[in-house]
Amino acid sequence: MPEYTPFEMIAFTGSRVLEDEKIVFVGTGLPIIASMHAQLTHAPNLSMIFESGPLSPILEMGMPLSVGDTRACRKACYLKGLSAVFELTQRGYSDYAFIGGAQIDMYGNVCSTFEGGTYNTPQTRFPGSGGAGAMAANCEKSIIIMALEKRRFTEKVEFLTSIGFGDGSADYREKAGVMGAGPYRVITNQALFGFDAKTRRMVLLEVLPGKTAQDIQDLVSFELLVAKDLKEMAEPTAEDLRLLREVCDPEGYFLNRKVK
Amino acid sequence: MKKAVSSKIKKVSSLKYDQQLAESPFEWWGPSPDEARRVMSAKSKGMHDKRTNLKDAVAKYVKDGINIGIGGFVNTRVPVAAVHEVIRHGARDLTLSFQSNSICAELLAGAMVLDPDRVSIKRVELAWWGYEVIGIAPLLRHLTSKGMIQLDDYTNYGMSARFKAAAMGIPFVPTRDHGGSDMELVNRGKMVSCPFSGKNVYLVPACHPDVALVHVTAADMYGNCRIFGAHCTCPEITMAAAHSIVTTEQIISNENIRTYPNLTEIPYAAVDALIEQPYGAYPGSSYGFHWFDMDHIKMFRCLCDEFRKTGKKDGLKKYYDEYIFGCETYDDFLEKISFKTLRKLRDLDGGQPIILS
Repeated sequence: MPEYTPFEMIAFTGSRVLEDEKIVFVGTGLPIIASMHAQLTHAPNLSMIFESGPLSPILEMGMPLSVGDTRACRKACYLKGLSAVFELTQRGYSDYAFIGGAQIDMYGNVCSTFEGGTYNTPQTRFPGSGGAGAMAANCEKSIIIMALEKRRFTEKVEFLTSIGFGDGSADYREKAGVMGAGPYRVITNQALFGFDAKTRRMVLLEVLPGKTAQDIQDLVSFELLVAKDLKEMAEPTAEDLRLLREVCDPEGYFLNRKVK
Repeated sequence: MKKAVSSKIKKVSSLKYDQQLAESPFEWWGPSPDEARRVMSAKSKGMHDKRTNLKDAVAKYVKDGINIGIGGFVNTRVPVAAVHEVIRHGARDLTLSFQSNSICAELLAGAMVLDPDRVSIKRVELAWWGYEVIGIAPLLRHLTSKGMIQLDDYTNYGMSARFKAAAMGIPFVPTRDHGGSDMELVNRGKMVSCPFSGKNVYLVPACHPDVALVHVTAADMYGNCRIFGAHCTCPEITMAAAHSIVTTEQIISNENIRTYPNLTEIPYAAVDALIEQPYGAYPGSSYGFHWFDMDHIKMFRCLCDEFRKTGKKDGLKKYYDEYIFGCETYDDFLEKISFKTLRKLRDLDGGQPIILS
């Protein structure tokens, strides 16, 4: 197996999770790279939505550096503004929300608003919901990228920015007035998680070859469910890495970041 | 206002639920829908030449205590030229409203750090404040950790829908987000039962800025505007605002506007002041004209971060003295950015197709 970085593994896994013939609403960075890789491999008829306005662009000018980058509009089929694309999600046109965050709990609720202190005087204020809260509410399934650390996989998020299954009750999302089915996958560089249909709790589905379920549990603050048929994560081939490095993110803006 | 908190949100996160905040009476953070309607009804609707300069436009419309709506999205088509002029002019106790912004919000925050008697931000209704690939916004972090500004958090759709409601002339709009998140607890929206289905639905109040600052691709002299690339929420913000200051890359003929009326995204009646300002979004990008200048944004962000980490304002002050206070106009600022830089950014746009004639 060729050598790869944690971010390359996340992007590759993100790509694997995306099915063909779907529309994915992407956040900045790894979600864009994962979607580009999917389009180049198993999902040629996958379309992207960017929240600034474009649907189904052809990213021939290179990877957009942000979801507002003018390059994200290139040869789009439909190009309006924020209202229009989020209304597409409310109506059911978007299959996947592809987001990130700072903290996640066992029900897939995500914090990207602040850490420490109070809402009015936060120790560390993050940029805020941006599109994530709306995407997690109304795209059909949410895919969430997180760093696998105990403080991030937390018992309780400090601020619930992007809705998951709330307190885990069956009708939480319905009472919240949101349209999407909720969290679908959580992607880290060492493990892939899903959610149990009955309890709506996070389930460990796949681990990096060589890792055990206990290794992953040690990095998570809440109790994980473990799939009966726990699998090993697929690793990127040399061709996958070539696509990621040479086609998707040739400048290494997101794939070459240092892991903190 | 009593909120019907109908999800079980209070049990989910560790956020301390502020009963007082939840029950405080609702307040418009800018003109109410009725006030905004009265301003619009009283305006002359004649088609007149709206062209002016930023100095006069800002002096006329920007006052202490107003709500400024900021157009664009993060680093795209952001009204930087207008924001420079607002900083030179000075405005205190501002409310800012936008969905996602980077440099405009940070420039105003930096002006507040340097001289709160000239520029100060009281509160911000927003979805997101940061630089995406370039990093977090240091001054947002500084001002919030010191409790110096009040925030009201929505999603990007929430803020866009709020401007849209205002542009539609309705007091609120139902959305399918915010519910079940802590935004339901802290922001000024409200969960209600749908009168038709009986199901829960989240209402967000209209957002009418006193003044919208928006940069567009092209406009005729009357203010009929074309926007190419992502519209962001610019048409809605402009039409929501009581008054608008619009900068445009280029003035085009009214005849051309009338040839393709479908391409007009903002009608003349929604524009009060129009300024032809090429590169008016620089260092942000402008589809069809130029890409964003990552180096300049990084440089400014670095100075802000240095202040956040050390408390030293020297670098920041030097930036403002050089690029804002040391300039009479935005053209003076652009003259300090080299032609080679502007040319490179133009090349990086890659000639995105726009229709000007």
